[in-house]
Amino acid sequence: MGVLLELKDLTKAYDTYAVVDRLNLTINEGELRCLIGPNGAGKTTTMDLITGRQKLTGGKVIFDGREINGLKENKIVRRGIGRKFQVPAVFKDLSVRENLEVAFNRNPDPFANMLMFFRRTDKQRFDEIVELIGLGERLGEKAGFLSHGETQWLEIGMVLTQNPRLLLMDEPTAGMTEQETLKTSEIFKRLKGAHTLVVVEHDMTFVRQIAETISVLHLGKLLAEGPMHQIENDPKVREVYLGAEGISDAA
Amino acid sequence: MTGQTQNLYHNKAGQWLCYIALFVVLALVPVFGAEPFQLNVYSRYAVYAMLAVSVSMVWGFGGILSLGQGIPYGLAAYCMGATMQMQYQTPDDPIPSFMLTNELTELPAVWEPFWSTSIGLILALGVPTLIMTIFGILMFQARLAGAFVAIMTLAILNAFYSMAQDLQPFTAGFNGISPPNPFTAFGVTIDPYSEMLYWINLGLLALVTLVSKYVLQSKFGTIVQATRDDAERVRFLGYSVSYFQVVVFVFAGLIATLAGIVWVMTVQYVSPTAFETPFSIYMVIWAAVGGRHSLFGAIVAAIVLNYLQTELADISEIWQKAWLLLLGGIFIAVVLLLPRGLAGLFEYLLGFIKIGRRQAAPGRIAAN
Repeated sequence: MGVLLELKDLTKAYDTYAVVDRLNLTINEGELRCLIGPNGAGKTTTMDLITGRQKLTGGKVIFDGREINGLKENKIVRRGIGRKFQVPAVFKDLSVRENLEVAFNRNPDPFANMLMFFRRTDKQRFDEIVELIGLGERLGEKAGFLSHGETQWLEIGMVLTQNPRLLLMDEPTAGMTEQETLKTSEIFKRLKGAHTLVVVEHDMTFVRQIAETISVLHLGKLLAEGPMHQIENDPKVREVYLGAEGISDAA
Repeated sequence: MTGQTQNLYHNKAGQWLCYIALFVVLALVPVFGAEPFQLNVYSRYAVYAMLAVSVSMVWGFGGILSLGQGIPYGLAAYCMGATMQMQYQTPDDPIPSFMLTNELTELPAVWEPFWSTSIGLILALGVPTLIMTIFGILMFQARLAGAFVAIMTLAILNAFYSMAQDLQPFTAGFNGISPPNPFTAFGVTIDPYSEMLYWINLGLLALVTLVSKYVLQSKFGTIVQATRDDAERVRFLGYSVSYFQVVVFVFAGLIATLAGIVWVMTVQYVSPTAFETPFSIYMVIWAAVGGRHSLFGAIVAAIVLNYLQTELADISEIWQKAWLLLLGGIFIAVVLLLPRGLAGLFEYLLGFIKIGRRQAAPGRIAAN
């Protein structure tokens, strides 16, 4: 398994304050990596830097052996990095089907798209994704009418439609009910192996359900990295992240 | 298909039928014998309807609130005005009279190309398109959106208004250009009071509407509507949002350009009023009242509102003055009560018909 994504001394600073501070991270092909850390640890900023949403102030992002920092967002996406946002972002005025069809992006040229009607969409892949996210019954519905959980699944489906080599998921279970979280972890288990995933998550139950390797960020720096049991017992992590829990345990 | 709401309004074949029916009905208007003057008024409505379609495209579907649709419209109108003026001029009398009164002794270089009708038409199409392309690229590359786009377009519109006013030797300033003769092309004179002109305007309206409708039903249309809902998400699906926005901005600009060209053919006159702020805002009101997510609604609203205005102005001067208040009232009422305009109301009502049928169906089966 080769290295797919490499962050080298990644830095984002506002004046003198570094939100992401010389972060080094390596993601292998086919891996499912969880990124955890307290609020303000720099998780979402890291995703913004990888996808070009924010400009980095130092370091490099190397994807598939090539430097991608400095490219425009849509170019980075076309290199094969898909992203699901923290606040679910779907097209509320379009139907579920149309949402997925927009995501199916073979040719991004506006004029080529004027001659395109959806029948050419890869039917098999479309059906697979609809089955995976479980929205087969709701294809004709406007996305604005979906529940919160369904909206999250739709966005996951949209990102999958592009068949990205690397999937960045920012808090995919935020605001979900327990049952919805369970279904989401089922989706993730099925994605594991076939896709490379980086998941930012707060919900530790969910992380336990899906995680192989966990990277802990703290104040923009990598604090610890390893499998779940190792992270849980790491004294540094307990101090900064699970600290409160540790204290309450002691009490 | 369980749990799906299939409103008749969203039936694509039905939509195309409605559009074709609308244009057939409008095309039959002269057959019922309209006075030449009345026919000319109807030809103007077709131009207004094109402008409403233009706003519907850029704002309703593209999510770009342009208060500057008068820019391509006015530029095209001035190019057309110049073309028609030069059709009247001869090599012996090469300088339009307004230039003489402004003490020009030679035809200005910018006016030279308009000697040729075909070059004049090419410029009338090309100049606005070029300006809108540059303007669009500057705005959308910088990721301007929402109110900022509205302010920018308004500012540029007013810049052109001032230019048309102040460059008096070239534009005839406040008075405007009134070419003495109707437009002639390929040996055919197009009388502004004729059925031919009405059909040309209507034909052009039908063409731009049906092409727009087609474009909206293509994947391009869906992506453009997606950028309206959430530009960031579209960008992170790998599309260049600014590129799509420039294309839809220029496309809508081209519709307004065509409207500007036929407007001057219809009224034989062009003045800075084409660049006036209120006029560009009226276009937005027409589209909003009709329902900015519906080209059909925009056309109907533009025609009905302008018909109302003309009819009321005929009653008395008071009504003529009260019109603005009434239009403002209609606009506020639509914004508050019908945010999706008349088309939205129509969609809502059609929804009821569907439910009625569903309930009626089992009864019918039982009766059989």
